[in-house]
Amino acid sequence: MMTGSGISGSLLVRLAALAVAVVFFQIGVVSEVPVFGVNVDLSPLLVAFVGLLCGSTLGAVCGFAVGLLVDLALVQTLGVTSLIFTLVGYWSGRLRELRDPQAALTPLLVGASASAVSLVGYSLMEFMLGVDAPVSFELLRQIILGILVNSVVALPMWAIVRRVLEGALPEDPRRRRRRRTYTTGGLSPLSRA
Amino acid sequence: MYDKTVRRRRAVLILLVVLSLLLLTAYFGEAPSGRLHGVQRGFLTVVSPIQDGANKALKPVRDLFGWFGETLHAKSQRDQLLKQADKLRRELVTDQAEKRSYHELLSLYHLDQLGVNDYHPVTATVVGKSPNIWYSTVTIDKGSSSGVRDNDPVINGEGLVGKVDLVASDGAQVELITDSTMGVSARIGTGNATGIVQPKVGDPNDLLLQYLPATASAVPGQYVVTSGTVASPDDSLYPPGILIGQVTSVNEESAYKSVNVRPMANLHNLDIVQVLTAARGTRAANISGLAANLPPGQNTGASGVAGEQLASTGTG
Repeated sequence: MMTGSGISGSLLVRLAALAVAVVFFQIGVVSEVPVFGVNVDLSPLLVAFVGLLCGSTLGAVCGFAVGLLVDLALVQTLGVTSLIFTLVGYWSGRLRELRDPQAALTPLLVGASASAVSLVGYSLMEFMLGVDAPVSFELLRQIILGILVNSVVALPMWAIVRRVLEGALPEDPRRRRRRRTYTTGGLSPLSRA
Repeated sequence: MYDKTVRRRRAVLILLVVLSLLLLTAYFGEAPSGRLHGVQRGFLTVVSPIQDGANKALKPVRDLFGWFGETLHAKSQRDQLLKQADKLRRELVTDQAEKRSYHELLSLYHLDQLGVNDYHPVTATVVGKSPNIWYSTVTIDKGSSSGVRDNDPVINGEGLVGKVDLVASDGAQVELITDSTMGVSARIGTGNATGIVQPKVGDPNDLLLQYLPATASAVPGQYVVTSGTVASPDDSLYPPGILIGQVTSVNEESAYKSVNVRPMANLHNLDIVQVLTAARGTRAANISGLAANLPPGQNTGASGVAGEQLASTGTG
């Protein structure tokens, strides 16, 4: 079943299942295992990779939904994580639509950037909403360590997300054009010879 | 066709951003009993049993990961604890004599202190934890059906852990003492001067005991305990004498003294905790109820420190 925008029902079901599984695995397991004093946060990685695989619109929608789920499950101020993850999902989707990076390290860089935007964005939002407690310089160290630790798990996370969504991903016009030009050889003078 | 796609993409982004901002504004401005908080409470009710089941199923995975880290720290902790045990043994002898005098004085002056005896501990298992450095919260598997209520103190064998923030029927959210919205009235050892213990956002291993009088004595190594003040309006949510942490350094300031405190409870690795629930009608229950009904900005939430801080600023 395909919707008007080429997004299949199968993709939406897989995305929903993946989002719920990742958020609960995060809360129940990953958050309870600190690495170098910080916690790995899988949710910004998930949102960024969905954007990178499915495009900006689906990335933004997935970011909003995952953010809302996180805020509801952790009883945080509703809307803060949704706002940040919406931007993360949209931005990574636009990266795919404009540049379509194919390098092996792209997921690592995208994951690190998504974690940085998420951690810094969250801190900025909290500052804007008002902080009553004193803030330690350790916060900077925690943010940097958080980005590094998230980068380490970015590649395995990318493999999992791609594996789960494979087969249900929407066709990318840029990739289709490239395949027709270089792979099928329809326009190559060598194939005509 | 291209224009239509671009327009749709931008419209979706703007719609989601506006929706997030509306949610944020509405949530931030409403009371803890408001509609959005109610939705969160309902969500917690639904997911608590799922989280509990998932927690049990995934415990071996968590234990496996935790084992590596714990083994690395075990040796240094053992040496530290041996030294601590020697010191505590010496202190115990002195304290036993002091305890006897203390009880004699209490009966002499008929002091009606709020004590741990006013509470009924409910043992709960931690089934979820926030990864966020701003929100230090855990989810437990006991809720209103077990008598847990908003603002009930939460402890473990090592000391104060935090307080209940939101209750569902079979689960509750606990704000840890390292959460940016927390504040606990406390004193150093047996001293009379009280201050407020607040977290240092970004550093989960450091708390700050603030607003101590400049004349108060504080030495690194001393223990910081809840003051449990009962002189209205400085009533505390926590019973007196619960261990919070150990003084690591003292900062001299102009009018007040502040002290860095290392929390005693290992908040990274919480498994079993106890919620100190108070029987209805007791002073403890009344204080919890009062704090739960404070307007937004004076109770929990991103904008305000828990009622504890507001109620207990200064000595008490």
